[in-house]
Order: sequence, then structure tokens, then C-alpha cells
Amino acid sequence: MSREIAPDAGAGEFPLSDEDIYEAMKEIPGYLDITPGSFRELYRLAYRLARQRLFQEVTAARIMTREVIAVGPDTPVAEVAEAMGRAGVSGVPVVEADGRVVGVISERDFLRQMGSGEANFMSLVAACLRARGCVALPIRKKAAAELMSAPAVTVHPETTVREVAEVLAAHRINRVPVVDGGGRLVGIVSRGDLLKALQGGVSP
Amino acid sequence: MIRAYWGKMRGTSISPPRVDALEILFSGLGGFLGLGLVAFLEAQFFQESDLLLLIAPFGASAVLLYGAVKSPLAQPRNLVGGHLLSAAVGVTALKLLGPHPALAVAVAVSVSIMLMHATRTLHPPGGATALVAILGGPKIQNLGYLFVLMPVGAGVLLLLVVALLFNNLIPRRRYPEFWW
Repeated sequence: MSREIAPDAGAGEFPLSDEDIYEAMKEIPGYLDITPGSFRELYRLAYRLARQRLFQEVTAARIMTREVIAVGPDTPVAEVAEAMGRAGVSGVPVVEADGRVVGVISERDFLRQMGSGEANFMSLVAACLRARGCVALPIRKKAAAELMSAPAVTVHPETTVREVAEVLAAHRINRVPVVDGGGRLVGIVSRGDLLKALQGGVSP
Repeated sequence: MIRAYWGKMRGTSISPPRVDALEILFSGLGGFLGLGLVAFLEAQFFQESDLLLLIAPFGASAVLLYGAVKSPLAQPRNLVGGHLLSAAVGVTALKLLGPHPALAVAVAVSVSIMLMHATRTLHPPGGATALVAILGGPKIQNLGYLFVLMPVGAGVLLLLVVALLFNNLIPRRRYPEFWW
């Protein structure tokens, strides 16, 4: 019953027991007119606000992956696929020789070109099974520039994590390249990076 | 739903710890000095007069001022504001609802609580002060709105001065947490 009024700390929140607070109160001389339960509730709400504030202040530069696997516009799609497979990533930025990001290729771009409609894996599987063989052939000779989504959705190093999350949600993408003032690649933020930042409590 | 309702009456937390022996001693000493001063002045100067200085709610204020020094309820804003507002409410209730004491009492306390909340001056002894304005007998009833200044205003200031002088004399204490 009491748990409904003062729920336990959620994931990532620091669990504080009434006993901890009771002992802490004993260390402060003088009467504190608050119950440990009220204090715990207050602490939980204040902690949540502090996290929100941090989330708004932390920037893309702090959570981005700096060593990015990227491909060139002329890279053949087979090589792109190999690179993605090796690195275990589901998308890569397409970068000009001078570092400017011109697009992004993701699994979805492959699926869209290979499948017979829906850009998802099972549609592709279905298409392959029905065609008694694989249907990748039409894109075999293509280069990255022909497959990529362009122009690339990008953010800047000083973009807040909160805004990055909004960008990912708005464009329904799973990663976003981080570019400097000249549009050159400096890193990439994936949904995983965001999740890590949320869990680990990145400080600004 | 009914289970949840009864369940709420079980309580959810634990009582705050007992303060140490020194704290108990200081709280008692403060109360002795505060009420001692007001009672002494009352006995010296107001015994034969139509005025008075000491009313029961000061005992309640002393609990906060000398026993729960850090409490928001014990801060000067709350002490002074809570008593003065409630005293005025009590006198007004008596004037408007005098023939119906039960109603006057209920209205006075209820309006005092709301007013203290609205002005961020919540001070529980204020509720008692509102009551005293109505139930304090002919001597107090004859004071009219003077009741707000004397005994309430004057007595409260004396308690405040003692709280400032006494609490800050003790290394482990400080008062107030805030003035306004």
C-alpha cells in the first residue's frame, strides 16, 4: 500500500531507504520536521529534475562516437555492405574526400532498393523466397551515392542531447552524423549512445 | 478502493529520530527563557491593568521557536505573520459571529489556516490565537482589534527576540533560516 504513495526509485535512480535518511537525520543536530518518507519523495523528485537538467545541458559532443566508419560516394554498395557488416553497424555516413557528409546509408536504404515494397527485413526474406533466389542483383553495380538517403540529417557538436533525441524521433532514424561548421564529419550519435547517456548519467 | 482507503491509515514512514540530550536541554532552556520573560513582564506590569501580555498560544510558539529551530513553521515570517493574521481573523469572527460562538470558532480557525497558507506564514499556534480572541473571556473581548497588537504583537516580538539571542548563542544552532 505504501508503495503506491512513495514508489521505489525507478531504473537509474538512486535507491534511498527510510533507514538511510533516518541515520542521516541523526547526524544533523536539532529537530528536522520532515518524515523520512517525505524526504525520500522530495529527493526522488529533485533527482529527476536534476537528471532532466543534465539531459538538456549535455551536448552531442559528449556522447558521440568519434571513430566513425564512413564510406565515400563512389564506394560500391557491396563494399558498403561489407564495411557495415564488419563493424556491426546498421548505418554509415557517406563522406566526400574533404570530410563533408553528403548522405547516410542504412540497412533500410538497402532494404528499400532490394525488397518489393516495405523496407524491412522480413519483406526482403519473403521476396527472396518467392523469387527462388535473391533479388539483390538490381543494385549490385550501384555506388553508395545512388543508394544513400540525402541530404543527410546532421547535428552539431553543441546540439543538446535532448535535441538529438528529437531529431532521431522526428526523422525516424537511428543515428545522426555530427558535423562541424563546415559540414565535415566529427562523430556520430546512435540511439545506443543516447541510451547509454541516459543510464550512465553523463555529467555536463 | 475501500481497502486502499483504510490502508492509508496505516502510515507509510517512520518517526524522525530523537534529538540528542544536549538538544533536549537547549530546547527546554529556550522555552524557559522565552516564556519566562513574557510571564515576568506580565506579572510585573499587567497584573492590575486592562491589558495583558501572555496568552496560551505562546506556549505552542515556544515549542517551534526553541524546539524546532530549523522548521519553516518556526521562522520569523511565520511566527509574526501567522499570529497577527490569525488574531485579526479571530477578532473579526467575534465581531461578525459573536452570537454564535461555535460558528465563530470554526470560521476563525478555518479562515486563519487558509490565510496563513495563502501568505506563506503557516504557524500552527496562530490557530490557537484565533480561538483565544473568541474564547479568551471579557478582558480579551473588550480589547477589540487592540488584541492584534497587544498581547499578540508585543508577545510575539518578545519571543522572537529571545529566539534570536538565545539560539544564536549556541554553536550548533542558528536562527533564522530565513527572515522573509
